Amino acid sequence: MASASETMTAAAPQGAGMRERAWYPYLLIAPSMITLVVVSLAPFIYAIYLSFHEAKFGRVRDFVGFDNYMTLLTDERFWNSIGVATTFVFIAVPIEFMLGLIGALVLNQNVRGRSILIPLLFMPTMMAPIVVGLLWKIMLAGSWGFFSYNVLERFNILGETSIFASPDLALYALIFVDIWQWTPFMMLAFFAGLQALPLGPYRAAAVDGANPVQMFFHITLPMMTPLLAVIGLLRFIDAFKVFDTIYILTNGGPGITTETPSILANKMTFEFWNIGEASALAVLVWIAFFAFCSIFYQVAKKRLNAF
Amino acid sequence: MAEAASRPEGSRGLFWTTLVIVYAAIMLFPIFWMASMMVKPNDAMFARPTQWLFVPTLDHFSYVIEQGFHWSLLTSFLLCTVSTALVVIIGTPAAYAFARFEMKGKDDLFLFILGSRMAPPVCLVIPFYLIYAKVGLLDSFLGLTLAYMTFNLSFYVWVLRSFCRDLPVELEEAAALEGWSKVQIFRRVVFPLLRNGIVATSVLCFIFAWNEFLFAFMLGGKSVTTLPVSIPKLITSQGVRWGEMAVVGMTALIPVLAVVFVLQRHIVRGLTLGAVKG
Amino acid sequence: MRKIWCFAAALAATTALTVPMVVSSAQPAMAQDAGFYAKAGAPYKGTTIRVLDEITPLQETLSKIVPDFEKETGIKVEWELLNHFEVINKGQADMLSGRGHYDAIMLHGAQLGPMLSADVIMPLDKFVADPKLSDPGLNAADFIQAPYKTTAFSAGKQYGFINWNYNHVYWARADLLNNPEEKAAFKAKYGYELAPAKTIEQMRDIAEFFTRKKGEKLAGVPLTSDFYGIVLEGIKGGSTFSNLWVNFIENYGGDLLDKDGKPAFDSPQTVAALKMWRELWTFAPPGIAEYSLVDVPTVMGNGIAAQSLAWSDFVLGIDKPGVSPYAGKFVYAPIPAKAGNEAHRHADAEPSVTVISAASKNPEATFLFLQWLADKRQQDKLIEIGQGGVPIRESSWAAPAIKDSTNPTLFAAMKSSLDVATARPKMEKYPEIIDAMSGIAQEVGLGKMTPEQGAKQGQAALEKLCGGKSCTL
Repeated sequence: MASASETMTAAAPQGAGMRERAWYPYLLIAPSMITLVVVSLAPFIYAIYLSFHEAKFGRVRDFVGFDNYMTLLTDERFWNSIGVATTFVFIAVPIEFMLGLIGALVLNQNVRGRSILIPLLFMPTMMAPIVVGLLWKIMLAGSWGFFSYNVLERFNILGETSIFASPDLALYALIFVDIWQWTPFMMLAFFAGLQALPLGPYRAAAVDGANPVQMFFHITLPMMTPLLAVIGLLRFIDAFKVFDTIYILTNGGPGITTETPSILANKMTFEFWNIGEASALAVLVWIAFFAFCSIFYQVAKKRLNAF
Repeated sequence: MAEAASRPEGSRGLFWTTLVIVYAAIMLFPIFWMASMMVKPNDAMFARPTQWLFVPTLDHFSYVIEQGFHWSLLTSFLLCTVSTALVVIIGTPAAYAFARFEMKGKDDLFLFILGSRMAPPVCLVIPFYLIYAKVGLLDSFLGLTLAYMTFNLSFYVWVLRSFCRDLPVELEEAAALEGWSKVQIFRRVVFPLLRNGIVATSVLCFIFAWNEFLFAFMLGGKSVTTLPVSIPKLITSQGVRWGEMAVVGMTALIPVLAVVFVLQRHIVRGLTLGAVKG
Repeated sequence: MRKIWCFAAALAATTALTVPMVVSSAQPAMAQDAGFYAKAGAPYKGTTIRVLDEITPLQETLSKIVPDFEKETGIKVEWELLNHFEVINKGQADMLSGRGHYDAIMLHGAQLGPMLSADVIMPLDKFVADPKLSDPGLNAADFIQAPYKTTAFSAGKQYGFINWNYNHVYWARADLLNNPEEKAAFKAKYGYELAPAKTIEQMRDIAEFFTRKKGEKLAGVPLTSDFYGIVLEGIKGGSTFSNLWVNFIENYGGDLLDKDGKPAFDSPQTVAALKMWRELWTFAPPGIAEYSLVDVPTVMGNGIAAQSLAWSDFVLGIDKPGVSPYAGKFVYAPIPAKAGNEAHRHADAEPSVTVISAASKNPEATFLFLQWLADKRQQDKLIEIGQGGVPIRESSWAAPAIKDSTNPTLFAAMKSSLDVATARPKMEKYPEIIDAMSGIAQEVGLGKMTPEQGAKQGQAALEKLCGGKSCTL
């Protein structure tokens, strides 16, 4: 009886005609859940299992408790990688965000030929990250790269160093590449959002004599917030995991100045074959993310009516 | 909004158009440069001073075809189409359910879906490999299709769910009152309304799958080689075969560009992710 | 139907008869060999073996020869070529997981340590001892001995033959070294003739001499961009550290480990070598710390630097008309020795072997294939089709493609390197060691760490990684 009334309340907002049996929604999500449990959870549980074992060379040997975690948490290199990724994400994503928004606002003016311009502008996002890496190597490689040679060297901008050889610049160059690659994605998503905004509030505001800046902050931005939150969160997760472009361009160098957790994990896995430790890293990163995303989700859901 | 905020003045439109074109030209220059490398002879590739004009060559194309890259193209295409189609088939009902119905622990289930996307893929690839080696899924079409679902299914459900949430529920109610079955309602009411969202989201899934490298490399093999995986073979000890790399990189771009070009109307509408509150 | 069978049988018989005849008429001495593989392979006829190797021009040439093995023995070879890093990732994952998809995998000498300590390589001794499998005509004494002995064997067991003798050579711009104006100026400044460097000190002088700014003249022509005296690999990882270790530190009389495999990096010789290393970096392009072994040939091929120490197989790919505008204008020489220590010279090399995975289900057939690859007939063909290459056999130096090569200095340099080339010591933690040490090589090269500090920190890193024990197996 309790369950029936629960179903009733649950279904109530859906209206009289939409009263459902309790199992119906579960049936709908079942295929997705089962697939994700099989293909996504299983490897992850296996990774958790590996993280508690000594697994040099991928051979599961002894149960070592939290040893792998302790090794990792006391390793400066691990914390360095977290720092690098944090810098990367907190510079790259906000800039992508701002540029994307500005670009979307510009595109939303009476730009002609949008049907051609939009696919073209979207090209960087469409390219395989591995190709993006090679592309920017062609541009920025020390001495022989197109930009390095024709601009930096010609005007002697960097002097005795080059972009990817400089511990101070390499990370920012990678951030730049990420911005180049993902701003179009943001721009397109935001542009789509702008296109979908209803006209009513603007008409009302125009009657009240509001200027475009006021309209942006009082109408556009609040209405766009949910979209910005979803896109921001997804991009945030992906930026933290970025691998291909860094792997091609610096592989973490010079030194460990651009070594993100993904790059470090790649070394642990494919060079050192410390699978236990790499798995521990995966679990730690996952926990940190999950905590962050849960909080973000709850807050965004309540405050911004997002999700 | 466009109509309300700015009047369609010819000169202003021209100004913004020019601005966008200039921006595009700067941003796309590296891609243009790489495209020119497709037909650039090797000794002019990084010549000093930079050679803007050169006698074009088709050598790079013939090497790429000789090496059978077109088969990788076909593999990529089949693999991404099948895996994206599966994601759409499995994920759409789930996204709909998450948006429409109350379920016990819905938030947790929903976060679980996103959670499956959070661990760095580099760390998961060896567990994947070891499991696949045991069950014999390495270097198989099915194996890669499944692996791609890990990152695409969660993305798809998340994005489409916010789209579903904004569908007007009244239509479904009306249909239910007419006595339509659930399947009919889904097929004839919900699905058409969701079309833009599905197109936009699945195109993004397709792009992610199309460009994915790590899984395709470790879990694929000689019988399933996708296009991105065929690229590192051009990084040989002779140096990188830059011309060939440009050919493969640009070829990989064409199908995606075509898809986006043809479907852009849906994408622009669908990409709102349904998350804009009206 | 029967008719077709009869015809097929007759055809097979004819082929079987004529093939050895053709071979024997061409090369009488080798007839036995061909016969051996047909006979030894008979029990494994119809088997398919999978072999993974890395993609370089050498392997691309070998690809043309591999199908002959099936013709001779009926054993099918699935021959897969991947990029260097991919072979490591995928090949090693295959071996370590015990999957056994690949019967044989190419390993660089350096990777043998980790893989041997993981116990995933099959020793060959029982096959070598088996008269049914062991080719009496193999003539292992003809293999270039130093790399063969140090690579293929470990703790008294044999794990492979020898497949690729990758090695370093000295690489310079002949057009610059032979320019009369430059020669005169060089002699005036340094007091000896400008020529390919024989010693590390000369290499330094030449590097200093040719490092010029934009606008200065090079061989009489004003430079449109800066020019550099030398380019070396400087990326973290790759072979940056092995270059420093063998070509510099060992030539200076130092080493990474002592005779017992214990760390011995913190020596005056290491400090002296690091000083030279640092100095050379100041004559190198600004991007040196980002250059991998693939970038160094790109820089040389595009005329940005005067000299380099580089992998000779890369040179083969760059010094070709149509690939580099400077093709044909290069000269090669042995790796420069330390002045006064010429008798104990060293040259960096990475001899590599294709090993049988412990999980292989067809070890006998695979063994036959590996042996067949190392056989003189295949090696001769490889050199001939590839118009050169990197020999693994002493007798290959006399092959027409090498002896009459249009690039004689390259092969002379290569031979000189291979005469002293050895595999790296077999260390379980080789990748970790390289990772740590190449970071130090970079810091010293960039001047962020003094040579003394570099030697100390290197020693500390080694001691930590080896845990007070021997670093070698």
